[in-house]
Amino acid sequence: MLVAAALRCFDPHTAVDPLTGVVREDPHAGRASEADLAALEHALRLAEALGGRCVAVTVGGARADGMLREALAAGAHAVLRAEGPGHDGAATARTLHRALLARHGAPDVVVCGDRSPDHGTGSTPAFLAARLGAAQALGLLELSPGRQGTLHAVRRLDGGRRERLRVPLPAVCSVEAGGVRLRRAALPAVLAARRAGVPVLAVAPPAGAQQVRTVAVRPYRPRPKELPAVAGGTARERMLELTGTFVPPAVARVVRAEDPVLAVDELLAFLRTHGYLKEGGR
Amino acid sequence: MSDPMFDVVVVGAGPAGSAAALTAARAGRSVALVERGPHPGSKNVYGGVVYGRVLDELVPRWWEQMPVQRWVTRRSTMVMTDRQALTVDVRAQAWGGPPYNGATALRADLDGWLADLAQEAGAVLVPSTVATGLLRAADGTVRGVRTDRPDGELSAGVVIACDGVNSFLAKEAGLFGGRTGARHTSLGVKETLALPREVIEERFALRGRDGLDMEILGCTRGIPGGGFLYTNLDSLSVGVVVGLDGLAACGVRPEELLADLKAHPSIAPLVRGAELKEYSAHLLPEGGYDTMPELAGDGILVAGDAAAMCLAAGVWLEGVNFAIGAGMYAGRAAAEALARGDTSRSGLAGYRRLLEDSFVLADHRKLRRAPGLVFSERMQQRYPALLCDLAEEFFRVDNPRPKPGLRRLLRRGAAAHGVRLHHLLSDALTAWRSFG
Repeated sequence: MLVAAALRCFDPHTAVDPLTGVVREDPHAGRASEADLAALEHALRLAEALGGRCVAVTVGGARADGMLREALAAGAHAVLRAEGPGHDGAATARTLHRALLARHGAPDVVVCGDRSPDHGTGSTPAFLAARLGAAQALGLLELSPGRQGTLHAVRRLDGGRRERLRVPLPAVCSVEAGGVRLRRAALPAVLAARRAGVPVLAVAPPAGAQQVRTVAVRPYRPRPKELPAVAGGTARERMLELTGTFVPPAVARVVRAEDPVLAVDELLAFLRTHGYLKEGGR
Repeated sequence: MSDPMFDVVVVGAGPAGSAAALTAARAGRSVALVERGPHPGSKNVYGGVVYGRVLDELVPRWWEQMPVQRWVTRRSTMVMTDRQALTVDVRAQAWGGPPYNGATALRADLDGWLADLAQEAGAVLVPSTVATGLLRAADGTVRGVRTDRPDGELSAGVVIACDGVNSFLAKEAGLFGGRTGARHTSLGVKETLALPREVIEERFALRGRDGLDMEILGCTRGIPGGGFLYTNLDSLSVGVVVGLDGLAACGVRPEELLADLKAHPSIAPLVRGAELKEYSAHLLPEGGYDTMPELAGDGILVAGDAAAMCLAAGVWLEGVNFAIGAGMYAGRAAAEALARGDTSRSGLAGYRRLLEDSFVLADHRKLRRAPGLVFSERMQQRYPALLCDLAEEFFRVDNPRPKPGLRRLLRRGAAAHGVRLHHLLSDALTAWRSFG
């Protein structure tokens, strides 16, 4: 059983000069995000529970060695740094996949952080799952061994709800920060890791193959608010009604109802007044 | 006790710690450098001046490697009141070439560079690890440190405590002799203000990598302390340093003092339009020579801020160079003591001798009265106002009235500000003894 923790090293203090575009990086500040640290902890726990090996792998330069040594100190059996294309999720997944196959074979489980803080899209796990032919589960809060060679996962849904998943193997799971914290490494392990070498594997870019490429990145633009169409009247009247030009602004009203029943009545009356609830509706 | 894991354990990867680790590692000793932050410099507050002469010995041709923002070619000392300012401005273009007098640098860069040198020399950096206490042999000799990690005991022949202004290790070792408290501690607050490089060069009359180091007196509403302004490549470091006692007694928030300074007529044009990038605060040991702890105990040395090696002497505000010097001599003394097989207090006494023979303790001893003079009420409140009034009156042209003489102006100003002749003589004598 091979459990891989796919980590990303980033610099939280990278600054870009808005005029010249010069990027200023702190060579000492590279580290894993909270989500990636949670992914490593999940990977370590899975490897322990399943009697397997945990490998921490990343795509990046020598700056990532410190992060990998931390993984080694925390209990990873091996680490691997891949040097190769990593400009987007697809390229990163390809490089990770190639490096893992070449050095350790196909992993049974890959655990990733849900997204990196440096404009990460969270797409790498999906591309990785596609390459491995593995199941994918994302946005996980919990991850543990399940019955009959599966994983048990809990995923966050909107509205505070949770979804329980049974994930077949092989699987690529991306976890959110906050579920778990990376264990504190013992001092002897830290000392050993500081002296350990980090194996590096160079992965060549694909030769002429058709790849999904990012051709443009634009600022986030939220979708326009949908308003119900206004019926009747002239075009001017419909426009005025849509824009609410002559409608006096609603004044905030603070209601302090001592009785909960009165409070509920007040809320229902408000909803009916503003058309959110039909008269007599529940 | 079994064989120690390291010859030397250095606690704190600041300038003192890294210099100590570098020196001991170069002497062939196994060294662990324990750092609380995730990387050296990660928790420091600094945008200040490094005076590089001490580095000549530690890193030959250091100016070719050190992460420098600007070379200091202008040094200004400004005294100010609410509405006046008087500046002594020294420009020495020779300081802008090798071997360089001083440079502005950022601590995150500087500490990382020094720690890298120590690691290249063989020291093992142990980041994100707090030294929580001392390990002792049966006879009380320090034999290592306890850390906050599981199985976190690091045994060593010598511990060098460079763990900053609140050195719990030096206190636990009894080197402060029971002296504690905030009396000789100052609080520095600093803002990093971003400005385009060309604007900085235009406003401060600089060019290329030239830089300005400005020290300010009289900007702290009478609270003992001072201010500073340093130019970085594309940012300014502006701040005030005030004594904790005075700050607490006055009930003023330090950011108000900083806002006052930035709004002062002589400073506001310099920082106009700058964008606030960082606000930070840090404690500084500014008591000088008389507040230093014992520098060596059985199996332990103390250096840098942990040993109160910060000099606040008016025109000289230094700390990093003393820390580097003290760390270097601590590493050397530890290696020599280990070679002799005697790491007792007397075996480590060479550390103090090395410091006494160098600028570190020589300057501190010579300027031991300077902090008292600089932080005195007269120096903080009356003299800045007296000097500013004197300069204002002297340079005022009141034709057709005859020009007043300097003696008359001085007498009038001294009377107006409650400065007696014997005060002037006494302070002049103290200043002469300190700086003369």
